[in-house]
Amino acid sequence: MTAAAAMAAYALLVGAVAPYALARARWAHRAPGIAVLAWQGLSLTFVVATVLGVGHLACSGQGVHHGLLGLLGVCGPAGLAAVPFPATPAGAASLLAPATVALLPVGALVRTVRRARRERREHADLLRMIGSEAVEHGVTVVEHARAAVYCLPGRGGRIVATRGALTALTEEQFRAVLEHERAHMRGRHHLPRMAAQGFAAAFPWLPLARLAREQTALLLEMVADDRALRFHSRDALATAMCEVAAGSVPRPALGAGGPGALIRLRRILSPQGVPSRAARLGLVAASAAAPALPLLLACGSL
Amino acid sequence: MRQLGELEAEIMDRLWTWGRPATAREIRDDLNRKRPIAYSTVKTVAEILFGKGMLAREKDGRAWLYTAACTRQRYTAARMADALEGSPDPAGALLSFVEQISADEVQALRSALRAARRRSGS
Repeated sequence: MTAAAAMAAYALLVGAVAPYALARARWAHRAPGIAVLAWQGLSLTFVVATVLGVGHLACSGQGVHHGLLGLLGVCGPAGLAAVPFPATPAGAASLLAPATVALLPVGALVRTVRRARRERREHADLLRMIGSEAVEHGVTVVEHARAAVYCLPGRGGRIVATRGALTALTEEQFRAVLEHERAHMRGRHHLPRMAAQGFAAAFPWLPLARLAREQTALLLEMVADDRALRFHSRDALATAMCEVAAGSVPRPALGAGGPGALIRLRRILSPQGVPSRAARLGLVAASAAAPALPLLLACGSL
Repeated sequence: MRQLGELEAEIMDRLWTWGRPATAREIRDDLNRKRPIAYSTVKTVAEILFGKGMLAREKDGRAWLYTAACTRQRYTAARMADALEGSPDPAGALLSFVEQISADEVQALRSALRAARRRSGS
């Protein structure tokens, strides 16, 4: 029971307190790649803590306390051998609850990936119909007056620019945007994005899930901005952002949070140094350790 | 399946470029200049496009005459609007350079850029 309470407290901390701190953390925008990792670490931690907490609750008093942990194998092969698989129907039922909690985000992730794949395939079909290949840039051009540049990630991925964007941008500005999109493709940014989407679909009421999705999208844009800035001027990239935004269809003002575009623009124009190597290593280690902590806690409570 | 999409695109491209009604045979003859393709295949795909509402057809003697249901520009505009102005965060299928923002927010971007240029210029 104590272990279940500890897990619940940990899950609450990770799900509803830590995300607000991370969303405000100054270092996140200075090391966006690490911050993406931190959000994924928090999300995984929440799932692990919730599964273990529910498991403890379901198993307590039924004599199969060890069964769950044994099944998960968290205490190593020795632990697994020491605890027999719960053979009784009650024991099996007590594993059902944590398994359901574990399958919730997995199912949502699978649905998100399938949906994204379908949308990408449909869009690729559309591009075959209305796009044309611009050989000199290796992009697909669509004769559309509104400005837009985007990439279609994944297998057979490509970068797409509308005529409106090509008209609005100078050669140098367009090259900067292309480098930004190439960074998305090379970095396979759609994968962490889909993970965050799936997590948010599984726990729509959870502050962590909502913030992780928003922040992951914004942080990945920053990673791509940084990549473009290695080869192109700050002015070119910032001006390109203004021009493409101005040439697209304006949408009604967003509610809370405001657009990431302004945050990105300010960041491009007035850069701040990246955190020190030691600080970066520490952040990566903490992101990796957070999901392991509840496991250690669970083992210790045996 | 892949080839079907390709052939659909090629048929639409012909009809959009010609801007006049054409029979499946005419389309087949034009496609044949690039690679051999069966009349029945072209006919089937034209019927699929008719079913999708992308082609209109009318009887001309014993053959069907196909026309593009709307111009390439209008089709492009409508489909791109769907793709880019739909829900702000669909499944994350496309990664846009800049998300759509309001007119006020574009102004905010512009003034931030102007301010930065003044700073670096002075």
